[in-house]
Amino acid sequence: MFSRIGYAIRETWASFRRNLTLTAAAILTSAVSLLLVGTTFLIQRAFENLLVQWRGDVEMIVFVRSDASAEQITLIDSVLRASPTIIDVSKLKYLNKTESYEEAKRIFVGDPVTLSLLTPESIPTQFKVVPLSDDPTLVRSLSDQYRTLPGVEAVALAEDEFQVISTLSNFIRVVTLVMSLVLLVVAVGLIWNTIRTAMFARRREIEVMKLVGATNWFIRVPFMLEGLLQGLLGGVVSCGGLWALNSAWSSGVASFKPGTGISSLIVPSSYLTSVMLILLGIGAVVGAVGSAIAATRFLDV
Amino acid sequence: MIRLDNVTKIYGKDTVAVREASFDIPKGEFVFMVGPSGSGKSTLLRLMNRQEQPEHGDVWVAGRNINEMPASRVPYLRRTLGNVFQDYKLLLNKTVFENVAFALEVIGKPRHVIERQVPLVLDLVGLAGKRERFPEQLSGGEQQRVSIARAFVNRPLILLADEPTGNLDPTTSEGIMGLLNEINETGTTVVMATHDHRVVNAMRRRVIQLDNGVIVRDQERGVYE
Repeated sequence: MFSRIGYAIRETWASFRRNLTLTAAAILTSAVSLLLVGTTFLIQRAFENLLVQWRGDVEMIVFVRSDASAEQITLIDSVLRASPTIIDVSKLKYLNKTESYEEAKRIFVGDPVTLSLLTPESIPTQFKVVPLSDDPTLVRSLSDQYRTLPGVEAVALAEDEFQVISTLSNFIRVVTLVMSLVLLVVAVGLIWNTIRTAMFARRREIEVMKLVGATNWFIRVPFMLEGLLQGLLGGVVSCGGLWALNSAWSSGVASFKPGTGISSLIVPSSYLTSVMLILLGIGAVVGAVGSAIAATRFLDV
Repeated sequence: MIRLDNVTKIYGKDTVAVREASFDIPKGEFVFMVGPSGSGKSTLLRLMNRQEQPEHGDVWVAGRNINEMPASRVPYLRRTLGNVFQDYKLLLNKTVFENVAFALEVIGKPRHVIERQVPLVLDLVGLAGKRERFPEQLSGGEQQRVSIARAFVNRPLILLADEPTGNLDPTTSEGIMGLLNEINETGTTVVMATHDHRVVNAMRRRVIQLDNGVIVRDQERGVYE
């Protein structure tokens, strides 16, 4: 038994070195596809963080016309406070003209044209409302009701933004997932081809092995180990890439002001670690499967 | 030891390589398969180690019908057979010792068995002094001796030799035949396909003659006609 293990390891290593260029190509392809798989995981997680944070934040803004009278504003305020079971009264906040203008300056910092159209006099004031209910239809009917109040200019629902972000993240997830699956298939193909080439180079040896009575498994195992090693090395390279990518991303995001929502795009390192382990696992399986297919085909002579 | 019952082997759609061949080879016999190229000698040998499967008929080796044997058992069948070829089929990147040891290594024999068996068989074939040479540093006759050593190192019941003297001059061939004879005398059944008149006539053993895939003669102590 020990001599068999020794044999398999020696043969794997020898074959690995013989086909260095093809091996490198197979490793790099699996690394790139695995990196994409890992990136998909991270993007998904980052968007989820973002969505969770936004859900807990302001979800509704009631804009009040700039020419609204003080009575109208008081009325709106009392209407909002009249349903404490549906909205969180303690978080209800009114921004007067100066405050609204300050916020507008912050929001439109990258859009001076829009900002120039606004003045502290003409800007609508706003109530920031946090609904207690998670039920979107209830929140929506509430907003329809507020819209009809005198002096209300518009009601904006964060739910709408939420939908956009959610659709966007789904789209990105599907696209990256499809791309990574395609690349994974390519990686299997390349590993398959590498092993096939390795076996072809040693067809004479394999013929002799079959004639003296080596079992198919005995012949196959070194090639499968070689494929597994290629996939695993691809996994290791992709983990390195993912780590570098994530570090760059995290430090980039960290330079944003906290509380803007952007900082939630940072993925916790425990999650990164589990993604890396998954990548190593996928790499090993992909390599072993690719080479098993190649070896089986070649032994069926 | 080997029995063929009405064996027919067809390549492709209608190329009949062997037609309704039947014979019985008892244990310890030395048999020549003779006939011109393409007469079906090699196919018969390939049917005996299940490199080929017949379209009709049965092949029995060491008491078992090898055509009904599951593919997973074939390696164990082959461990009871030794194969020698016209082109030796040696591995050029391995030494004489490694080539012979390879046959034991790939069937999982432990190192100490290999260290004991290989020198013995190299001594038998007269290559004890050349164990560290590579095949390309040897003459054709010496290479064939290595190949015979590899076939015999696991003490097979049967030795199948396909034109083993096909690439060798008469004197060298004589040496190889002497070696095969010695192996036969240890009780190993030897089946040899050849179209070499001289070796057949010199040995005077059983001759099975083929012509176009059909057995036309099966004679004890025969000569090549």
